[in-house]
Amino acid sequence: MRPGAHEEHAHAEQWAATSRSRVVAVRRYGAFAAIELVAPEVTALAQPGQFVMVTVPDGGFLLRRPLSLYTARGDRMGLLIKARGAGSERLAAVAVGEALDLAGPLGTGFPTRRVSSALLVGGGIGCAPLQFLADALTEGGAQVTAAFGFRDGRQARVAGAFDLPRLWVATEDGSVGRRGLVTDLLAALDVPASTTVYCCGPLPMVAAVQRWATAVGLGGFASLEAHMACGTGSCHGCVVDTSRGYLRVCSEGPVFVLDEVVTP
Amino acid sequence: MSAGLDVDLRVKLGDLELEHPLVDASGTFDLLEHARRFRGDYFAAFPYAAYVPKTVTPDARPGNPPPRVTETAAGMINAIGLENPGVEAFVEGLPALAALRQPVIVSVGGNTPAQYAAVVRRLEEALAAGGPPLPAVAGYELNVSCPNVRGGLSIGVDPRATANVTAAVRALTRRLLLVKLTPNVTDLRPVAVAAVAAGADGLALVNTFRAMVLDPVTLRSFLGNRTGGLCGPAIKPIALRMVAEVAEALPAVPIVGMGGVMSGLDALEFIACGATAVAVGAANFTGLEAPRRILDELRRECEARGFARLLQARGIALAPGA
Repeated sequence: MRPGAHEEHAHAEQWAATSRSRVVAVRRYGAFAAIELVAPEVTALAQPGQFVMVTVPDGGFLLRRPLSLYTARGDRMGLLIKARGAGSERLAAVAVGEALDLAGPLGTGFPTRRVSSALLVGGGIGCAPLQFLADALTEGGAQVTAAFGFRDGRQARVAGAFDLPRLWVATEDGSVGRRGLVTDLLAALDVPASTTVYCCGPLPMVAAVQRWATAVGLGGFASLEAHMACGTGSCHGCVVDTSRGYLRVCSEGPVFVLDEVVTP
Repeated sequence: MSAGLDVDLRVKLGDLELEHPLVDASGTFDLLEHARRFRGDYFAAFPYAAYVPKTVTPDARPGNPPPRVTETAAGMINAIGLENPGVEAFVEGLPALAALRQPVIVSVGGNTPAQYAAVVRRLEEALAAGGPPLPAVAGYELNVSCPNVRGGLSIGVDPRATANVTAAVRALTRRLLLVKLTPNVTDLRPVAVAAVAAGADGLALVNTFRAMVLDPVTLRSFLGNRTGGLCGPAIKPIALRMVAEVAEALPAVPIVGMGGVMSGLDALEFIACGATAVAVGAANFTGLEAPRRILDELRRECEARGFARLLQARGIALAPGA
C-alpha cells in the first residue's frame, strides 16, 4: 500500500446540489443500459469511483438511486444501470431526450496517481466504475489489466460496453470466457509486483479478491455497494463493516482500502 | 409582487420563537457533514427554523449491522440503531455549529432515566462553561421512541417510564423540553399526558412505525436488525390522526408534528391537525433542496387560502369543541 493513499481519496471534491441532465444516448446490453447525459456540473469535478444520486423520474419512488460514474468525458457523463428492482428497471428504461434529476459527484474516488500497473476486478454491475477508472489510469501512464466476472452469458453482454485493451471475462456457467469466478481468472494472470488492485462488486467477490491479493502480496482499493437513503452522509443507512468500524459507503466510501473491508 | 410575501409563518414552541414551523426530524439532516463535504455555505443556507441533530447517547454506539435501509411502497424502512459518537464527542463538535443562526434542539437518547440525565447534565455543563463560541442550544428533544434498539422495546410505550425520563431531565434544565413519542402503542394519549405532567413543554410525534421487509429471493428479513421503522408518505395519514388525537386531548401543549411530510400541503395538514411546528424527515433524502421547496410551498398554500398568519390554520381539522 502506498503511503497517503487514504488522504488522496478523502479529498475528492463533491457537489450535492441537484441538477437536471438530459439523456443524449442509450445503449442496451441485456438487462444493462449504458446511458450518456449532459452533466457539466458533475463532470467538472468527477473522479473515478465517485457516484451520483439519481431521482427515479416517475412511479412514486421516494429514494434516489446511487449510480457509479461509468465515464466522464468533457461535459458528458456515462452511467451503467442494471435493472434489478422496480426503481433501477425504470432508470434502465430511460429514453434519449428524457431529463433526470441527479446530484453529484459524491463520495471518495479511486486514488490513481503514481500507479504504474493496475489490475481492475469487477463483478456484475460492479464493473460500472472501472471504465472511468481505466481511462484515468491510462492517461496517467499506467498499464491496465481488467478481469470481469458474470453469472452467465446474458449478464456478460455488458462487457461489450467496455473499451479496455486487456479485458478477461469469466462466467459461472462457462458460456462466455473462462468458466468459474473472477478470482479464478486472477490466479492465471501475470501482473508485476508493483500492481495496484482495484475492485468493485458484491461483498463475497470483494472478500475473494482480498484473500487473493493478500496471498500474492498486492494492495489496493475496493468500491462497495450498499442500499442508500440520503447519499449525502446524513442518515447512516449505508454503512459497511471495516477495520475502522462501521463506515458510510456514501461519504467515507464508496472507495475503501482493500485491506480494511471486513468481509464475511 | 405577491401578497404572499406577507404571510406570517412564525410560531412559538414554549418560549422558543421560530421564524417558520419547519425543523428537521432528528437523524435525517447532518449539517456538519454537508458543511464539511460540499461546496457552498451550508450554515447561511440552513433551511430549517431550528436544527435537531442526530440523537446523542451517553456513550458511543456503533448502531445496527447492515443492511439498514431500503425503499418500501410509498416510504422507506430504516434500522440505524442510534449510531452516534456519544455525548463527549458531541460536545467537542458543538463549536463547529457556532456559525448557525438558528437555535439547536438536541435530541437525547438512552436506556434509563440516568442515561438521559447524563447527556443533558454534560451539555448543561458545557453550555455554562466559558470557552469557544457555541450555537444557541434552545432545548432538548427526548427520544423515548427509537424502535430499533433493545429488541424494539422503547421507553415511550410506557407512561410511567416516559414520565421518569422526563422528570429526570426536567430537574436539570430550564430550556425547552420536548418528548418525542412512539406511534407503536394503542393510544398515544396516556404517554403524552404523562410526559406533560412530568414537565415536558411540548411533544414531538410521531417516530417511525415498527415494520419488517423481506428479501424477495430468500424470504428472510432484509434488515440486519430484522425489524426497522417505517417512514415516508405511507405513514402520513396515521401520523395526522395521532397528532389530532393528542392535540384534542392536550390543546395547550405545542406539538411538533411529523410523518411523511413531502410537500408544503403536507406540512399545512399537520398544522390543521393541531401541530405548532412540523418536522421533515424522509423528504431530506430526496435532495438537499427539499426543505426550501417545502417552505416555499407552505407559504403559497397559506396565500392560496388567504391566511395572513400560518397559525390561522392551526387546529382546523380538529373535532368541534376540541
